Amino acid sequence: MDECIINAKNGDHLAFALLFKENYPFLIKYLMKVTMNPDLAEELAQETMARCVQKIHLFNGKSKFSSWLISIATNIYIDQCRKQKREKDLHVLEQVGRKLKWQFESRNEDWNDALTALGKINEEIRVPIILKHYYGYSYEEIGDIMKISSGTVKSRVHNGILAVRRELNLDEETESHQSRRTTK
Amino acid sequence: MKKQRVISLDEQQNKKDLKVIHELQQGLEKVDAFSVYAPDLQWFEQMVLVEQQRIKKRFVKDLSTFIFVAVFILSGIMISLYHMPTLFIGLQIAATIFIGVYTVVRYVKKVNYE
Repeated sequence: MDECIINAKNGDHLAFALLFKENYPFLIKYLMKVTMNPDLAEELAQETMARCVQKIHLFNGKSKFSSWLISIATNIYIDQCRKQKREKDLHVLEQVGRKLKWQFESRNEDWNDALTALGKINEEIRVPIILKHYYGYSYEEIGDIMKISSGTVKSRVHNGILAVRRELNLDEETESHQSRRTTK
Repeated sequence: MKKQRVISLDEQQNKKDLKVIHELQQGLEKVDAFSVYAPDLQWFEQMVLVEQQRIKKRFVKDLSTFIFVAVFILSGIMISLYHMPTLFIGLQIAATIFIGVYTVVRYVKKVNYE
C-alpha cells in the first residue's frame, strides 16, 4: 500500500491533504459527468472527502484510492437523489445538465446532444453507463462500486444505451432512412 | 435466410450502440477538458483537521452516552439485587422466559412461512 495511505490511516492530516489534492481533479470531473452540475459536484466532492476521513480504516488497498473515492462519491450522490425524490424536492433533479450546458456555452464549446440524452435518464442508469463506457470499469467492478450485482449493472447499461439511442432518435433515423430507400 | 436477417439486425443494433457510445465519449471528453480549480494544500489540511475534530467530538459524545446508560442500568440492577432480591430474581426469570418464547415463536413463524 502507498506510504501516503498508510500515514493517512494513522491519522496524519498532511498525508490526507496530499492524497486529496492529488485526486481532487479526478473526483470533481467524475462528479461533474455524473451529476452534470458543477456546483453539486463541488459540494459532493467535499462530502466525499469528509466521508473518506471517517472511513479510511475500511480501505484495504485492493483497488486504487481514486476508485475507492468514486465509489464513496457515487453512493453519496445516489442516496442524495433518493432522498430528494422521497421529499419530492424535484427542483434539483430537473436541473440536471442545464448548468453544465451553460458552462459549455460560456466557454464557446459545442454542446453534445448525447449529453442531453444522458442527463434525461435516471442517475442509477447514468452512473453505470459512464463507469463502463468512459472509465472502462468491468461490470463486476461497477457492481462493487454501486453495491449491486453485475447482472443488474449489465442490464442497466444496456437499457441506458437504448434510452439514449431513443432520445437521440437514432432508431427512427435509421428506420426512415430504410423506408426512404425502399420507396426509391 | 432467417439467421442471416437476425445477424444483420444484431449488427445494425451494435452499430447504433457503438455510435451512441462514441457520441457519449466525445461529450464526456469535453467535460474532462474543463480546467478545474483545485484548492491549495493548506485548504485540504484544514478540512481534514476540522473533520478529524468532529469525529473525535462525536466519539467522546457517543462514549459518554454509552457509559451513562450502562452505569444507570447497572446501578438499577445492583439496587434491585440488594434491596429487593425477589423482584430481581423475578425479573431475571421473566426476561429468560420472554427470550425463549420469542425465539420459539419467531422460529415457528419462519418455518410456517417457508
